[in-house]
Amino acid sequence: MRFVTSLTILALLFATSCTKIQVPTPEVNVAQVKEITLDPNAAVWDAVSLHASKMILQDLVEPRLLEPSTSEVMVKAITNGSEIAFRLEWLDASQSDMPGPRHFIDGCAVQLPSKVDSNVPAPQMGEVGKTVEISYWRADWQAIVEGRADNINAIYPNASIDHYPAEAKPLENNTQAQAETAARYSPARALGNRRSGPRDQPVEDLIAEGPSTLSPAPSAVSKGKGVKTAKGWAVVISRPMPAGFSAATPSQIAFAVWEGSHIEVGARKMRTGWVPLILK
Amino acid sequence: MARVNNWQLGREMSYWYPESRPQKQFAAVFDTNKCIACQTCTLACKTTWTSGKGQEYMLWNNVETKPYGSYPLAWDLNLLSLLDGQNWGEEGGKPVYKGSTIFESAPAGERVLGWRPEDEDYAYPNVGEDDCAGGVEHGASIEIPHAMAWFYYLARICNHCTYPGCLASCPRGSIYKRPEDGIVLVDQNRCRGYQECVRGCPYKKVFFNPMTSTSEKCIACYPKIEQGLSPQCFANCIGKIRVAGFINTPDKAEADNPIDYLVHIKKVALPLFPQFGLEPNVYYIPPIHVPTAFTRQMFGPGTDKAVEIYRNAPNDQDLTSLLGLFGSTEAIMRKWKRVGDKAIGMDENGKELVNVPFEEPVHIRPAYDKLYQITRTNCP
Ligand code: SF4
Ligand code: SF4
Repeated sequence: MRFVTSLTILALLFATSCTKIQVPTPEVNVAQVKEITLDPNAAVWDAVSLHASKMILQDLVEPRLLEPSTSEVMVKAITNGSEIAFRLEWLDASQSDMPGPRHFIDGCAVQLPSKVDSNVPAPQMGEVGKTVEISYWRADWQAIVEGRADNINAIYPNASIDHYPAEAKPLENNTQAQAETAARYSPARALGNRRSGPRDQPVEDLIAEGPSTLSPAPSAVSKGKGVKTAKGWAVVISRPMPAGFSAATPSQIAFAVWEGSHIEVGARKMRTGWVPLILK
Repeated sequence: MARVNNWQLGREMSYWYPESRPQKQFAAVFDTNKCIACQTCTLACKTTWTSGKGQEYMLWNNVETKPYGSYPLAWDLNLLSLLDGQNWGEEGGKPVYKGSTIFESAPAGERVLGWRPEDEDYAYPNVGEDDCAGGVEHGASIEIPHAMAWFYYLARICNHCTYPGCLASCPRGSIYKRPEDGIVLVDQNRCRGYQECVRGCPYKKVFFNPMTSTSEKCIACYPKIEQGLSPQCFANCIGKIRVAGFINTPDKAEADNPIDYLVHIKKVALPLFPQFGLEPNVYYIPPIHVPTAFTRQMFGPGTDKAVEIYRNAPNDQDLTSLLGLFGSTEAIMRKWKRVGDKAIGMDENGKELVNVPFEEPVHIRPAYDKLYQITRTNCP
């Protein structure tokens, strides 16, 4: 199921959640709606045109992905004028949302040039002086946002832990001392690495100027929600309208998908080139 | 890839970045003959650095029984079986590695040759404990020496390699080697938990933290190093098997530097799996009771000679005295000397830190104590 799947089957699959079979468009057409939704199953998506984006291997920089997985991502887009939301749906037989050694997480991302310009940055995460903005959704963050506990037993239910210094008796009634002790054993969180949870959104905002330059965006503005479908994932990622994007000035968009069970992480991913993004 | 010099291989090799040696390189010597596998080092590290959520399975320091012990499971065998043709030759009377390193044998699309341990591989940190090679025949336990019934303890930390596999593997440049002391660190703010370093470190000394989704590793207790003190696993070692310091390249070896003396001058301490190509900076005095056919593949072509030198230590006052300084002070001895029957450890300005007689006085008392009219058992 992981490999090349025909467009027809995908379109038919899609039809199970929509009322009629849709003919995909070569560009991403953004439909104007009254209200933005984060729900991938909301009725508003039914009337929105569908783009089927062909995915290619990230095989330009090491470590590369050499064996293809997700062949297509089905995309729809809506805007209320200030926010823009993208609905991405793809096939993935397994659900990978538990982190651990050699466990990788299902995810997807949308990438937009920071400036609307006919001279677009390189689609592989931009280039020096031509920044791209990336909104990145992950299945483990989705699980945490939906209430999965932020502890080791959520990942290994049979784990037994005899002692954490931060939870030792002498600190029982001192929440500040507890937090300080916990931070001492959790340097990534102590440093405020946004990647290292706990999270209130399953989407992370990033910027990049080429491969290996991915960094946190100045502020967290994206939201989202992903649901496991019978055959894969359906995810909505919403973010503010890109500056300068209008009906008169179209932009470009690119997508990436990671299939955790296929050891896809970081640079090991399926991606698309730029696709025209048009406001209807 | 750049061409760099790896003195442990006796040749140049390919590496992801150009050669850039730190001002000083943190290094250590472990005497495997003295380790008793008490795991005090493991616990000293665990309580100091890895008692947090997501660090439960991590042992930055571990001690495994060879030949069967390994943590994570089969870390050494897996890599050895991936790496083909690890043969050594000789050029101008010096050993030269003729095989290829993890950098030179990186498959297409990869930065280094590596493999990924699964979570189960971390579930048996003391597998093979005290299991000896070969079967022990009935009654053999009272025969000494046993031909094949051997085992030994291998204490392991991060090697703070000159050419780290972890650093070369990270596509984000989140791992760096400190220019002031060569300690290799994962930037916890920049790391995004891709686990490429876990795959790329052949010694498997980087660990993924599932709670922070970043990778973490031994930091050589750098806050202590900065104060001139040895890391926790050294200071707490019951067997006094460890000495910490800084190493020079062989051409700049200094006889009064304890590490240089043991590694470059006496050649009694050897790197662990030099053929991987990382120029690791923890050096081991090989176990002298183990068939060198086994230890040679771990410590390289200098193994037989190192065993011979160590066996001869009772006739070598300088070596004996330096071995006596192991574990004698928490301070890092930058220099040492022997004066008569005393070994003296010093700081970098030559100021005495510790002084240890290397031949302890022996007192023999008569079994019958006339004064108290009592018979005593003489125990050492
Ligand atoms: S032992 Fe592993 S973790 Fe340590 S520096 Fe070398 S490659 Fe990196
Ligand atoms: S504390 Fe020393 S003797 Fe004990 S296991 Fe560790 S290295 Fe060996």
